[in-house]
Amino acid sequence: MPYETEVLIIGGGATGLGCALDLALRGIGCILVEKGDLASGTTGRYHGLLHSGGRYVTSDPQSARECARENVILRRIMPHCLEDTSGVFVVTPWDDADYADQFVANCHAAGVAVQELPLAELQRRESLLNRAISRAFELHDGSADSFLAARSLALAVESAGARIFSYHQLERLIRMGDRVVAGVVTDRRSGEQQRIDCAYVLNASGAWAGRVAALAGVQLTLVAGKGTMVAMNHRMVNTVVNRCKYPADGDIIVPIHTVAVLGTTDLHVPDPDHYGIEAHEVALLLAEGEKLIPGLSRYRALRAWAGVRPLYQDSGQRGGADRAIPRTFKLLDHRERDGVAGLISLVGGKWTTYRLMAEEAVNLVAQRLGKLQPCRTAHEVLPVPATEHRAHLPPLRGAAARYGAQTEHKATWPINGLAQPWGQNEIQGLDADYYYLGQHLGAVEQSQAAGDLICECELVTRARVLTALEQGIHTLDDIRRTLRVGMGPCQGGWCVYRTAALLYEVQQTQAQDAPIDPNMALRDFLQARWKGALPILWGDQLRQARLDEQIYVGLLGVDLIADS
Amino acid sequence: MHYDTIIIGAGLAGLSAALRRAALGERVLVLAKGYGASGWTAGCVDVWAAGDAPLSALATLVRSRPQHPYALVGLEALQRGLEWVRTLAAAAGYPLVGGWERGLRLPTALGALRSTCLVPLTMVAGESRQLADGPLLIAGLRELRDFFPPLIAENLRAQGYAATGCYLQMPPGERQRECTPLHVAQCFEQAHVRANIGQQLRTHVRQGGYRRIGLPGVLGLHQAPAVVAELQALSGALIFEIPTLPTSVPGLRLFHVFEQAALAAGVRMQVGGWVVRAEAEGQQLVAVYSRAAAREQRHSARRWVLATGGMLGGGLRSDAHGHIIETALGLPVAKPYSRAEWFDPLLFAPGGHPIFQAGIAVDPQLRPLDAEGRVVYENVAVVGGALAHYDELREGCREGVALATGYGEEQKNR
Amino acid sequence: MLDHCIKCNICTNACPVAAVSDRFPGPKYVGPQAQRFRRVGQPVPDAAVDYCSGCRICNLVCPTGVPIAELNARARAQMVAERGLPLRNWLIAHTDLIGRLSAGPQAPLVNALLGWAGTRWLAEQCLGIHRHAPLPRATRYPFRARKQPRLGRGKQVVYFHGCATRAYEPHVGAAALAVLARQGYEVLVPPQNCCGLPLLSNGDFAAARRAHMANVRHLWPYVQAGVPIVGTSTSCTLTLKEEAPELLDLHSHEVQAVAAATYDIFEFLRHLAERGELCDAVRPLEQELPYHMPCQYRAHRIGQPVVDVLSMIPGLRLKLSPAASCCGIAGTYGLKREKYALAQAVGRPLFSFITQTGSSLALCDSETCRWQISHATGVATKHPIELLAEAYEL
Repeated sequence: MPYETEVLIIGGGATGLGCALDLALRGIGCILVEKGDLASGTTGRYHGLLHSGGRYVTSDPQSARECARENVILRRIMPHCLEDTSGVFVVTPWDDADYADQFVANCHAAGVAVQELPLAELQRRESLLNRAISRAFELHDGSADSFLAARSLALAVESAGARIFSYHQLERLIRMGDRVVAGVVTDRRSGEQQRIDCAYVLNASGAWAGRVAALAGVQLTLVAGKGTMVAMNHRMVNTVVNRCKYPADGDIIVPIHTVAVLGTTDLHVPDPDHYGIEAHEVALLLAEGEKLIPGLSRYRALRAWAGVRPLYQDSGQRGGADRAIPRTFKLLDHRERDGVAGLISLVGGKWTTYRLMAEEAVNLVAQRLGKLQPCRTAHEVLPVPATEHRAHLPPLRGAAARYGAQTEHKATWPINGLAQPWGQNEIQGLDADYYYLGQHLGAVEQSQAAGDLICECELVTRARVLTALEQGIHTLDDIRRTLRVGMGPCQGGWCVYRTAALLYEVQQTQAQDAPIDPNMALRDFLQARWKGALPILWGDQLRQARLDEQIYVGLLGVDLIADS
Repeated sequence: MHYDTIIIGAGLAGLSAALRRAALGERVLVLAKGYGASGWTAGCVDVWAAGDAPLSALATLVRSRPQHPYALVGLEALQRGLEWVRTLAAAAGYPLVGGWERGLRLPTALGALRSTCLVPLTMVAGESRQLADGPLLIAGLRELRDFFPPLIAENLRAQGYAATGCYLQMPPGERQRECTPLHVAQCFEQAHVRANIGQQLRTHVRQGGYRRIGLPGVLGLHQAPAVVAELQALSGALIFEIPTLPTSVPGLRLFHVFEQAALAAGVRMQVGGWVVRAEAEGQQLVAVYSRAAAREQRHSARRWVLATGGMLGGGLRSDAHGHIIETALGLPVAKPYSRAEWFDPLLFAPGGHPIFQAGIAVDPQLRPLDAEGRVVYENVAVVGGALAHYDELREGCREGVALATGYGEEQKNR
Repeated sequence: MLDHCIKCNICTNACPVAAVSDRFPGPKYVGPQAQRFRRVGQPVPDAAVDYCSGCRICNLVCPTGVPIAELNARARAQMVAERGLPLRNWLIAHTDLIGRLSAGPQAPLVNALLGWAGTRWLAEQCLGIHRHAPLPRATRYPFRARKQPRLGRGKQVVYFHGCATRAYEPHVGAAALAVLARQGYEVLVPPQNCCGLPLLSNGDFAAARRAHMANVRHLWPYVQAGVPIVGTSTSCTLTLKEEAPELLDLHSHEVQAVAAATYDIFEFLRHLAERGELCDAVRPLEQELPYHMPCQYRAHRIGQPVVDVLSMIPGLRLKLSPAASCCGIAGTYGLKREKYALAQAVGRPLFSFITQTGSSLALCDSETCRWQISHATGVATKHPIELLAEAYEL
């Protein structure tokens, strides 16, 4: 039996999920398919910046304008995914001092709020920053947990009645004449194939959009711009720090959760699924980071990873560096562009503007389908997943109050007229405030759960792991993305063994179609961590890797166990 | 204060050397940055991981890899070391059993079977050859977050053993939170805890007819063999311990055997004595300096033993540029040529990673050599994990090399 | 600094507080682990860090060199800055003031008052100082150097007596002066105030900074003249050497010079012995005595100077307390109502070691440890310098 729906969305990143929620809230049926876990593509592989728009005021003012607008909206609808770090753009001795005034002017022109920060105040806030910084400007940057945002979106999507199939690979798009009418997907766990009939296919697969388009016989060329990042073991800064210059490699440090992320590089890669991290990229990030934080390379790096930006360039604009390609998004109606109806591609853009991209795409689809409901995603506060186990702590002084974020919109959820009302757990979303660094430490203290931590580095309790497992999160990597298990300094030394064992125990109590082999899961996870660690293995992290090896080879004998 | 011998490092290698020299009447000081890697091990004596017959494998090894520490000190040194450690442990009331003629394989906390040579009495009932003699119970405590009986049992079943996993109840009144392996071990030193757990085990044995029971390696810190004996009597089954994650109680026990013997032998131990630099006259090391409050402390001695371990122990440290330094004395390090050769892309590659064979190259007297093969210090011996040209972890020879070089060092440097 | 942590749990296993209490999740947890979740300007969300007694055993056993106790002290200070210092902690942290108020002619009255159960009950109810906590008895005759030599050319040394010697144990100071004089030193006792350790360990960094800078001002002229500073209180000397400069980020030349010139008295005597300048005219003492090296003394990381120096006394046999044992008092920690029982539990292995020796006297360098040991075991305690003075027949 084929499924039938109005819109089939390809891609479970922020954009695809945003489209699904927007469609669902307008009462348009949709199914989202994702070949891996939600947010396992570029969405989960970026530095986590909530853009103020400042980075684009010069190179791409339209993007800057969009970011500034969306920044305010996201603070309203998903405060629990955001940390209100604020951001500074600083002029170092390596930067053109004359650019600063132009930067401020461009900010004003693009509607991006900016104010000069006295250097004394900068040093008071961020004592490790280079003392040779000559000017600093504060903007409304923040950091965003894109994994949590994806799960919150997914929760909202499913509650609004739409379906999400993760771990489903799109095999074919079926055309009737010049119209796409269905997609065929394979469940990667069971191997079963499924046909999904639809009126429209919304291609939100980011760097993979060219491949999806090709399945419909449409040529769509994307530049896969690989950006490499390095996570440092702790937050040397608590403010997003940007170099005040035309965007370039290695010019930003984003404090997110317990780490500081150095970003990024920009290199063409031919294949968004296969790329390595080069030693020179890591060296460049550290060298550029030194200009912001002297002595940075002596701090401990945890791992390096890369994501691929889906950069789209209209034909005729070719040539020039990647950074010159506009970061704004493009909505491609393949009926107009290629004469193939029923297929719309969303390319380019950035995490911060996912909602706007979705809104514009859905506007087009809705118009074609003759549905007239307006977009509501800018006002509906997203629910907080139950795995968050948020502590009720005294409010932070001054931190969250600044944007008056959610107060006036709190009451809008649940949505009137929705088929399924929110469950008790999701109602927690109403009390959501910004995430802050001490949140989990406070929650562990409050529940006296320090002795029951499964991941000690990222403070993940057994209760949260079990909640996640019981909700149907199955792979160790999904658990990592959901709870940050294994993302701290020990990179899985203790926690992954514990999590794999709990996974096995939970699977024993639940009937599973395709249970996961805990031994294989453990080995695969460790191998994936190893790959990310290799580019930065020296000093303390190398010692840690050896201790982890002592645990897994010397004590547990992971290498001696055959897959069951 | 002047010493006959100063030993840098308080792992098994360093303490073996200290005990040997103290036994000969020397004034010995052990300087250690902290407690060493011995607490991170299974608390067994690993000699060689290959197969059932380590001895014959080693006979081949010393011919094929002349730079391997075993080849340098000779297998007699290893044999003497093994005999000595057995005597030492037995005298401390914590007997080690087994030998190098026939390897032993014991279950891990994942249910794999790991090779070793000497094991404490508390583990011996888990030896794989006997494990198949009947139904087997793996029992743990939920409060202990490093031991998961269902998974261990599953993996043992997959290897043909009739294993079942279960959780026991922590006796009431005991710690319910913050249960580190050491804390649980301290609980087992109390009679009412043993009685309660023994009773629970007895019930399981009655129901399941188990012949053997595997428990986490937390059965007491100081009186472990007696705890095991008592639980055996109470439960009616043979009990064996399975070592847990760092810091493991069996690892600590073995360390305590060495530490207590050293203190009893008059060895001075200075934990927190972090050696940062050396003072030499020609090829003689004259003094070292350790970090202390406000100023460094100088230590002088006639002879020196460097036992600071490798990358794990902290004797070696690398930086982002591919340099590797020996942290205490600044000795030259033998290492793979470039960073590109440090690692295998596969974490569990059978040969391990070349970087972990980096270390100090030595002559047959264990004296450190520079890149040209010249002796750096004539009065320094390097022992244990700091040595080059072997991988203590992947080759499964950590304690074997520690004993062979640590205990054997003195004979090379009279 | 927290970057060095490889999560190996060695510190948690060695921590004497975590060993006896569920309330303290251990040094790894509250130290390098929790530190990644703390941020200046946001409240410290984990009050559990206050259960760190500051004994620094974690620092010593850490194989990677993480200064865990310092991380904890800073977190506590951040908490105090956030929430304010409770009156009880303010009082017990101002040892100098309390000592000055109680020592002197009024001492018998003060002692009688504090010896009365009713007062102690009241102090527990109103202030939170445990009614059984070991409080010292004030002296009628506070320590003071009789005649004060001038800073001059000869062999001179400054004696840093600390609050306890002044207000409660003048005999320790007298012994120190006599032993130093026996080595041919003129002993100077310039004005000085509290080293600031109780303030540091209660999180009042601002007051500790004032105390330390005042001491630096007092001591600097002597240090400049090349005169070493010698103390009998191991925690005072550790504070001058390291704790205050590091925790308070004081790194001026004067602070560093004072730190570098400060010695524990037995460390100083050991230096003399190494140079062959230590007077060895001691009489034999046929005794076997338990000796507890205080945690704050181990934190100097200079080995066992007392054992080294006293080894010249014929017949004296020291029985060393178990490695990494702690009496639990940790300065003011064990006085607090909510921590008293915990501190007693921490000390239990040490107490049973001392009672098992059967000795009626135990040696220990730190005053609060001595009070705690005597309180818990009933065994009399002495500073080792008093024993050395006896051996010199002073």
